[in-house]
Amino acid sequence: MIVDDLSMTFSALADPTRRAILGRLALGETSVTELAKPFEMSLPGISKHLKVLQKAGLIQQGREAQWRPCRLKAEPLKEVSDWVEHYRQFWEESLDRLDEYLKELQRKEKKRGKRKR
Amino acid sequence: MANERGSSSPSPALTVTRKVDFTAEQVFDAWLDPKSAGKWLFATPTGEMVRVEIDARVGGRYTFVDRRNGVDVEHIGEYLEINRPRRLVFTLAVPKYSTLYTTVSIEIVPQGTGSQLTLTHQGVLPEWREATQAGWTGILDRLDQEMTTITM
Repeated sequence: MIVDDLSMTFSALADPTRRAILGRLALGETSVTELAKPFEMSLPGISKHLKVLQKAGLIQQGREAQWRPCRLKAEPLKEVSDWVEHYRQFWEESLDRLDEYLKELQRKEKKRGKRKR
Repeated sequence: MANERGSSSPSPALTVTRKVDFTAEQVFDAWLDPKSAGKWLFATPTGEMVRVEIDARVGGRYTFVDRRNGVDVEHIGEYLEINRPRRLVFTLAVPKYSTLYTTVSIEIVPQGTGSQLTLTHQGVLPEWREATQAGWTGILDRLDQEMTTITM
Protein backbone atom coordinates (compact mmCIF):
# COMPACT_ATOMS: atom_id res chain seq x y z
CA MET A 1 0.00 0.00 0.00
CA ILE A 2 1.39 3.39 -0.95
CA VAL A 3 0.88 5.34 2.24
CA ASP A 4 2.67 8.51 1.12
CA ASP A 5 0.23 9.05 -1.71
CA LEU A 6 -2.62 8.38 0.65
CA SER A 7 -1.29 10.87 3.20
CA MET A 8 -1.13 13.47 0.47
CA THR A 9 -4.71 12.75 -0.50
CA PHE A 10 -5.74 12.92 3.16
CA SER A 11 -4.10 16.27 3.79
CA ALA A 12 -5.46 17.70 0.56
CA LEU A 13 -8.92 16.66 1.72
CA ALA A 14 -8.44 18.00 5.25
CA ASP A 15 -9.63 21.46 4.26
CA PRO A 16 -13.39 22.15 3.97
CA THR A 17 -12.91 24.59 1.08
CA ARG A 18 -11.00 22.01 -0.89
CA ARG A 19 -13.65 19.39 -0.21
CA ALA A 20 -16.29 21.84 -1.39
CA ILE A 21 -14.27 22.47 -4.56
CA LEU A 22 -14.16 18.73 -5.21
CA GLY A 23 -17.88 18.51 -4.53
CA ARG A 24 -18.49 21.18 -7.17
CA LEU A 25 -16.16 19.49 -9.65
CA ALA A 26 -17.92 16.17 -9.14
CA LEU A 27 -20.85 17.80 -10.95
CA GLY A 28 -18.69 18.62 -13.96
CA GLU A 29 -15.69 20.64 -15.09
CA THR A 30 -15.67 24.37 -14.64
CA SER A 31 -13.42 27.45 -14.64
CA VAL A 32 -11.43 28.82 -11.72
CA THR A 33 -13.60 31.95 -11.70
CA GLU A 34 -16.75 29.81 -11.41
CA LEU A 35 -15.15 27.74 -8.68
CA ALA A 36 -14.27 30.84 -6.67
CA LYS A 37 -17.82 32.23 -6.76
CA PRO A 38 -19.41 30.37 -3.81
CA PHE A 39 -16.46 31.15 -1.57
CA GLU A 40 -15.61 34.55 -0.25
CA MET A 41 -12.10 34.21 -1.48
CA SER A 42 -9.79 35.92 -3.92
CA LEU A 43 -8.71 34.19 -7.09
CA PRO A 44 -5.15 33.75 -5.77
CA GLY A 45 -6.65 32.21 -2.61
CA ILE A 46 -8.59 29.70 -4.68
CA SER A 47 -5.56 29.05 -6.88
CA LYS A 48 -3.58 28.09 -3.79
CA HIS A 49 -6.18 25.45 -2.92
CA LEU A 50 -6.26 24.24 -6.49
CA LYS A 51 -2.50 23.80 -6.44
CA VAL A 52 -2.75 21.55 -3.38
CA LEU A 53 -5.48 19.51 -5.04
CA GLN A 54 -3.48 19.30 -8.23
CA LYS A 55 -0.36 18.16 -6.39
CA ALA A 56 -2.37 15.42 -4.75
CA GLY A 57 -3.56 14.38 -8.19
CA LEU A 58 -7.18 15.09 -7.30
CA ILE A 59 -7.81 17.58 -10.07
CA GLN A 60 -6.50 18.39 -13.48
CA GLN A 61 -6.45 21.77 -15.14
CA GLY A 62 -6.91 21.82 -18.86
CA ARG A 63 -4.48 23.71 -21.09
CA GLU A 64 -6.51 23.59 -24.26
CA ALA A 65 -9.13 26.28 -23.66
CA GLN A 66 -8.40 29.82 -22.58
CA TRP A 67 -10.56 29.40 -19.46
CA ARG A 68 -8.49 26.39 -18.41
CA PRO A 69 -11.29 24.20 -17.06
CA CYS A 70 -10.68 22.25 -13.85
CA ARG A 71 -11.79 18.68 -13.68
CA LEU A 72 -11.87 16.02 -11.03
CA LYS A 73 -9.53 13.06 -11.12
CA ALA A 74 -11.08 10.17 -9.32
CA GLU A 75 -8.18 7.75 -8.89
CA PRO A 76 -6.75 9.06 -5.58
CA LEU A 77 -10.18 9.11 -4.00
CA LYS A 78 -10.72 5.61 -5.25
CA GLU A 79 -7.57 4.67 -3.34
CA VAL A 80 -9.02 6.21 -0.18
CA SER A 81 -12.19 4.24 -0.66
CA ASP A 82 -10.12 1.08 -1.24
CA TRP A 83 -8.17 1.84 1.92
CA VAL A 84 -11.37 1.84 3.98
CA GLU A 85 -12.58 -1.28 2.19
CA HIS A 86 -9.27 -2.95 3.00
CA TYR A 87 -9.89 -2.33 6.72
CA ARG A 88 -13.44 -3.62 6.51
CA GLN A 89 -12.27 -6.81 4.90
CA PHE A 90 -9.52 -7.11 7.50
CA TRP A 91 -12.01 -6.95 10.39
CA GLU A 92 -14.52 -9.26 8.71
CA GLU A 93 -11.77 -11.86 8.30
CA SER A 94 -10.54 -11.29 11.85
CA LEU A 95 -14.02 -11.88 13.25
CA ASP A 96 -14.33 -15.02 11.09
CA ARG A 97 -11.14 -16.28 12.70
CA LEU A 98 -12.36 -15.32 16.18
CA ASP A 99 -15.57 -17.27 15.65
CA GLU A 100 -13.61 -20.24 14.31
CA TYR A 101 -11.21 -20.08 17.25
CA LEU A 102 -14.01 -20.06 19.84
CA LYS A 103 -15.72 -22.99 18.09
CA GLU A 104 -12.51 -24.97 18.18
CA LEU A 105 -12.10 -24.16 21.87
CA GLN A 106 -15.61 -25.41 22.49
CA ARG A 107 -14.99 -28.67 20.61
CA LYS A 108 -11.85 -29.29 22.66
CA GLU A 109 -13.67 -28.60 25.90
CA LYS A 110 -16.46 -31.00 24.95
CA LYS A 111 -13.92 -33.70 24.20
CA ARG A 112 -12.21 -33.13 27.52
CA GLY A 113 -15.58 -33.20 29.29
CA LYS A 114 -16.41 -36.56 27.71
CA ARG A 115 -13.10 -38.05 28.74
CA LYS A 116 -13.65 -37.02 32.34
CA ARG A 117 -17.03 -38.68 32.50
CA MET B 1 -8.59 11.37 29.66
CA ALA B 2 -8.35 7.97 28.11
CA ASN B 3 -12.10 7.96 27.76
CA GLU B 4 -12.09 11.18 25.80
CA ARG B 5 -9.71 9.73 23.30
CA GLY B 6 -11.80 6.60 22.97
CA SER B 7 -15.08 8.31 22.28
CA SER B 8 -13.87 11.19 20.15
CA SER B 9 -16.12 13.52 18.17
CA PRO B 10 -18.13 12.05 15.30
CA SER B 11 -15.57 11.17 12.68
CA PRO B 12 -15.86 8.87 9.72
CA ALA B 13 -15.68 5.42 11.20
CA LEU B 14 -15.87 1.91 9.96
CA THR B 15 -18.38 -0.36 11.71
CA VAL B 16 -18.57 -4.12 11.53
CA THR B 17 -21.24 -6.11 13.40
CA ARG B 18 -21.21 -9.82 14.11
CA LYS B 19 -23.50 -12.22 15.96
CA VAL B 20 -21.81 -15.19 17.62
CA ASP B 21 -22.94 -18.24 19.53
CA PHE B 22 -20.74 -17.49 22.51
CA THR B 23 -21.21 -15.54 25.71
CA ALA B 24 -20.02 -11.96 26.03
CA GLU B 25 -17.30 -13.13 28.46
CA GLN B 26 -15.98 -15.74 26.03
CA VAL B 27 -15.83 -13.20 23.21
CA PHE B 28 -14.31 -10.49 25.38
CA ASP B 29 -11.57 -12.70 26.82
CA ALA B 30 -10.47 -13.78 23.36
CA TRP B 31 -9.25 -10.21 22.76
CA LEU B 32 -7.07 -9.91 25.84
CA ASP B 33 -5.70 -13.37 26.59
CA PRO B 34 -2.38 -13.57 24.68
CA LYS B 35 -2.80 -17.29 23.98
CA SER B 36 -6.24 -16.73 22.48
CA ALA B 37 -5.68 -13.42 20.73
CA GLY B 38 -2.50 -14.59 19.02
CA LYS B 39 -4.51 -17.33 17.30
CA TRP B 40 -6.79 -14.99 15.40
CA LEU B 41 -6.19 -11.26 15.99
CA PHE B 42 -3.81 -9.60 13.49
CA ALA B 43 -2.96 -13.10 12.30
CA THR B 44 -2.97 -14.03 8.63
CA PRO B 45 -3.64 -17.50 7.18
CA THR B 46 -0.16 -17.68 5.63
CA GLY B 47 1.68 -15.74 8.33
CA GLU B 48 3.16 -16.99 11.56
CA MET B 49 2.44 -15.20 14.84
CA VAL B 50 5.90 -14.91 16.34
CA ARG B 51 5.26 -12.60 19.28
CA VAL B 52 2.23 -11.56 21.34
CA GLU B 53 2.54 -9.25 24.33
CA ILE B 54 -0.55 -7.97 26.08
CA ASP B 55 -0.55 -5.74 29.15
CA ALA B 56 -4.28 -5.91 29.77
CA ARG B 57 -4.92 -2.79 31.82
CA VAL B 58 -5.95 0.74 30.97
CA GLY B 59 -2.79 2.47 29.76
CA GLY B 60 -1.16 -0.90 29.10
CA ARG B 61 0.23 -1.67 25.66
CA TYR B 62 0.15 -4.61 23.29
CA THR B 63 2.37 -5.90 20.51
CA PHE B 64 1.51 -8.55 17.92
CA VAL B 65 4.17 -9.58 15.44
CA ASP B 66 3.02 -11.62 12.47
CA ARG B 67 5.72 -12.95 10.15
CA ARG B 68 4.47 -12.72 6.57
CA ASN B 69 6.72 -14.16 3.88
CA GLY B 70 9.72 -13.56 6.13
CA VAL B 71 8.71 -9.99 6.90
CA ASP B 72 7.71 -9.10 10.46
CA VAL B 73 4.56 -7.00 10.58
CA GLU B 74 4.03 -5.38 13.96
CA HIS B 75 0.65 -4.27 15.32
CA ILE B 76 0.94 -2.06 18.37
CA GLY B 77 -1.36 0.01 20.56
CA GLU B 78 -2.61 0.99 23.97
CA TYR B 79 -5.73 -0.05 25.90
CA LEU B 80 -7.92 2.96 26.63
CA GLU B 81 -10.95 1.26 28.17
CA ILE B 82 -11.36 -2.24 29.57
CA ASN B 83 -14.84 -2.99 30.83
CA ARG B 84 -15.30 -6.76 30.88
CA PRO B 85 -17.34 -8.12 29.19
CA ARG B 86 -19.11 -5.19 27.54
CA ARG B 87 -16.60 -2.76 26.13
CA LEU B 88 -13.00 -2.66 25.03
CA VAL B 89 -11.25 0.33 23.44
CA PHE B 90 -7.69 0.39 22.17
CA THR B 91 -5.49 2.37 19.83
CA LEU B 92 -3.92 0.60 16.87
CA ALA B 93 -0.95 1.35 14.65
CA VAL B 94 0.88 -0.69 12.06
CA PRO B 95 4.22 1.16 11.91
CA LYS B 96 5.34 -0.73 8.84
CA TYR B 97 2.58 0.85 6.81
CA SER B 98 1.73 4.07 8.59
CA THR B 99 2.63 6.14 11.65
CA LEU B 100 -1.06 6.82 12.24
CA TYR B 101 -2.74 5.72 15.43
CA THR B 102 -6.36 4.73 14.92
CA THR B 103 -8.91 3.77 17.59
CA VAL B 104 -10.83 0.50 17.77
CA SER B 105 -13.89 0.10 20.04
CA ILE B 106 -15.53 -3.26 20.71
CA GLU B 107 -19.04 -3.38 22.17
CA ILE B 108 -20.40 -6.75 23.20
CA VAL B 109 -24.08 -7.17 24.00
CA PRO B 110 -25.56 -10.48 25.21
CA GLN B 111 -28.22 -11.71 22.83
CA GLY B 112 -30.16 -14.90 23.52
CA THR B 113 -27.69 -17.68 24.16
CA GLY B 114 -24.94 -15.78 22.36
CA SER B 115 -23.89 -12.20 21.89
CA GLN B 116 -23.49 -9.47 19.35
CA LEU B 117 -20.19 -7.76 18.75
CA THR B 118 -19.95 -4.31 17.20
CA LEU B 119 -16.54 -3.12 16.15
CA THR B 120 -15.95 0.53 15.35
CA HIS B 121 -12.68 1.61 13.82
CA GLN B 122 -12.16 5.34 14.06
CA GLY B 123 -9.43 7.42 12.51
CA VAL B 124 -9.16 5.29 9.40
CA LEU B 125 -9.71 8.57 7.59
CA PRO B 126 -7.53 10.55 9.97
CA GLU B 127 -7.51 14.04 8.53
CA TRP B 128 -11.23 14.16 7.99
CA ARG B 129 -12.22 14.38 11.63
CA GLU B 130 -13.95 17.69 11.14
CA ALA B 131 -15.68 16.60 7.98
CA THR B 132 -19.43 16.76 7.95
CA GLN B 133 -21.64 14.16 6.31
CA ALA B 134 -22.24 16.54 3.44
CA GLY B 135 -18.49 16.75 3.01
CA TRP B 136 -16.77 13.53 2.39
CA THR B 137 -19.57 10.97 2.18
CA GLY B 138 -21.21 12.99 -0.56
CA ILE B 139 -17.96 13.28 -2.41
CA LEU B 140 -17.28 9.57 -2.19
CA ASP B 141 -20.78 8.71 -3.32
CA ARG B 142 -20.52 10.90 -6.34
CA LEU B 143 -17.07 9.60 -6.96
CA ASP B 144 -18.28 6.02 -7.04
CA GLN B 145 -20.61 7.02 -9.83
CA GLU B 146 -17.77 8.85 -11.53
CA MET B 147 -15.57 5.78 -11.34
CA THR B 148 -18.29 3.64 -12.83
CA THR B 149 -18.60 6.02 -15.73
CA ILE B 150 -14.83 6.03 -16.27
CA THR B 151 -14.48 2.27 -16.23
CA MET B 152 -17.41 1.86 -18.60
